[in-house]
Amino acid sequence: MSAILRYRRDALRPFALLVILAILFALLPVFDSAARVGTVNVSDILNTLATLGLVTLALGLSMIAGEFDLSVSSTYLLGSILAVKTGVGSPLVGVLVAMGAGLVIGLIQGLVVSRLGINSIAVTLGGFITVLGLVYVISNNQTLSYPNQGVSTALTNPIASVFSVQVFVAIGVFVLVALILMATALGRNLRAIGSDRKSARVVGLRIPLIVTAVFATSAVLCTLSGALQGYSLQYAAPTQTVSPLIFATTAALLGGVPLSGGRGNPISIAAGALSLGIVTEAIPVLHSANYVNSLLPAVLLLIVTIVDAPDVLRWWRVQRARRGTVMGLRRATQPRQQATDES
Amino acid sequence: MVMIVAAFVYLAVSTSGYLTAANLRSVLDQSAFVGVFAVATALIMISGNLFSLSIAATGAVTASEVLYLLPNGGAIAIIVTLASAVVMLGIQGLLVGGVGANPIIVSIAAGGLQEGVFLWLSQGATIEPPMGNTSLAFIENLVHVPLIGDLPVACFVLLGLVIVIEVVLRRTSFGKSLYLVGENRRAAHAAGLPTGWIIVGAFALAGLCLGIAGVEVGGFNGSGSLLDESTYTYDGIAAAVVGGIAITGGRGSAWQALVGAIFIQAVSDLVVLRGYNEGWQLLAKGIVVFAVVILIRLIRGRSAS
Repeated sequence: MSAILRYRRDALRPFALLVILAILFALLPVFDSAARVGTVNVSDILNTLATLGLVTLALGLSMIAGEFDLSVSSTYLLGSILAVKTGVGSPLVGVLVAMGAGLVIGLIQGLVVSRLGINSIAVTLGGFITVLGLVYVISNNQTLSYPNQGVSTALTNPIASVFSVQVFVAIGVFVLVALILMATALGRNLRAIGSDRKSARVVGLRIPLIVTAVFATSAVLCTLSGALQGYSLQYAAPTQTVSPLIFATTAALLGGVPLSGGRGNPISIAAGALSLGIVTEAIPVLHSANYVNSLLPAVLLLIVTIVDAPDVLRWWRVQRARRGTVMGLRRATQPRQQATDES
Repeated sequence: MVMIVAAFVYLAVSTSGYLTAANLRSVLDQSAFVGVFAVATALIMISGNLFSLSIAATGAVTASEVLYLLPNGGAIAIIVTLASAVVMLGIQGLLVGGVGANPIIVSIAAGGLQEGVFLWLSQGATIEPPMGNTSLAFIENLVHVPLIGDLPVACFVLLGLVIVIEVVLRRTSFGKSLYLVGENRRAAHAAGLPTGWIIVGAFALAGLCLGIAGVEVGGFNGSGSLLDESTYTYDGIAAAVVGGIAITGGRGSAWQALVGAIFIQAVSDLVVLRGYNEGWQLLAKGIVVFAVVILIRLIRGRSAS
């Protein structure tokens, strides 16, 4: 029973964090009189769901399954480049080309990881470099502009002042993935694979199939969000930055998916992405210097990685247990004390 | 493997100007840098901690640092730069070895951190050494002046480094325990080895390599910025993987990193000579990494079963 309670409490943590950060963000003008907070910021934060949020979902799914998709950064870039390049006449064609390429990349990586049983970081490192090469080759090492301004307007025009078509698409994708995982046994199987692969194999889960599907979904989500980003910004540029990977990893960890896998769901991942979106949005609101932009995500990632580290968790449990026994002993020596409140 | 080598040999023979002494010399010349990044990656890989995605960032930061410090004298600049690289990687080693943090993520975060601090301190400007500084000439010579057989000093620095690291790995108890830790960290811990400190040592040693790489890159470019350095990360990792160092740890040598670096550089050079740009180079390296990872698995998997 207490195990279930503890699980529930862990599962609530990403949402608690989101609420706390949202309140702190709303209170920013109280701390800094120059800061202005308004609906623009809310729409910016919601917008992160559509761009890096979907990349977070992509990486998060592979993390739940106990894998790690290093290639999300360059697949995201490839999506934007392909969509901008092929979607001038029909934006739908551009998105489909991008997602098709994503599917191929994801299937190849997924099949290699699951059928040959190779460490997914090694495989997706190869994928990461290869796809980055494709990005440079397809864009011819130049920034591509997207002349179809109507598409950008349609995607980003505010609806109810904070939403947009782009945000609705992202919310739709999150809800769809969440529903598929919850309605079928897939969500449970995914966590089972991530937490204990041997047992998952013993009970007869079709691990290769599920892992391949995870990598395929991951790459398709990345190219989709890249396409959305390319259309709304009206350009796509080849870069070697890993900042989407930094964002996605931090956000997934904040969203309750540990690097060791086995926990988390799309909705908690969305909460993690929104939390990190709030933190990044605070930088311009507080008029912070430029370097904070590159420093803050890295510092945050370092902190959540250390918190996620197995030995830190073990140390914390030992400390808690030790405190528990000390208090238990004290209680035992003092007559008629209340029962332990440890859960 | 045979197919890759055959394809490579065919392309090498059919590309005009590839199999000339001048071009092969330039391949070795270029490998001098990539090789140092590859040796650093090899140390991290052998320790069982995959690879670092921020070796190029450390290289760029240390390159700028050595140029910035040059007015204090060449020796001081180099020593301080090497020491700071050891500290930078040593801290990452502490996080990885001390609390079991995920090495890849730590390296990504450390890369962002180094770039952020660099932008903060440099205010986004390029680091230029003072004009006519004699110490600059000293580290420039390190890269440019041919020593023996038209090869620059940097090539012999790499050769020396490979020999030193090889001796450390094979002849010292630290090296021998490093293989144990890389093969099976839990077993090594159970055997009473200070696994945390051994990993810190491996990272610190990798830091020393990156510091050396930084000094060379600084001397080569003559100015320091964060731009155009990131391919060293992919080159270094690709070289270690192609050299056959086990990505899961516990197996590999500095020699393999050297061979891998020369191969990766030879492939890059081939792509350039056939008239393709940077994108095609990356593409070729990515495919080579992908293919080698699969091949090694197939070969080792077959021998194991």
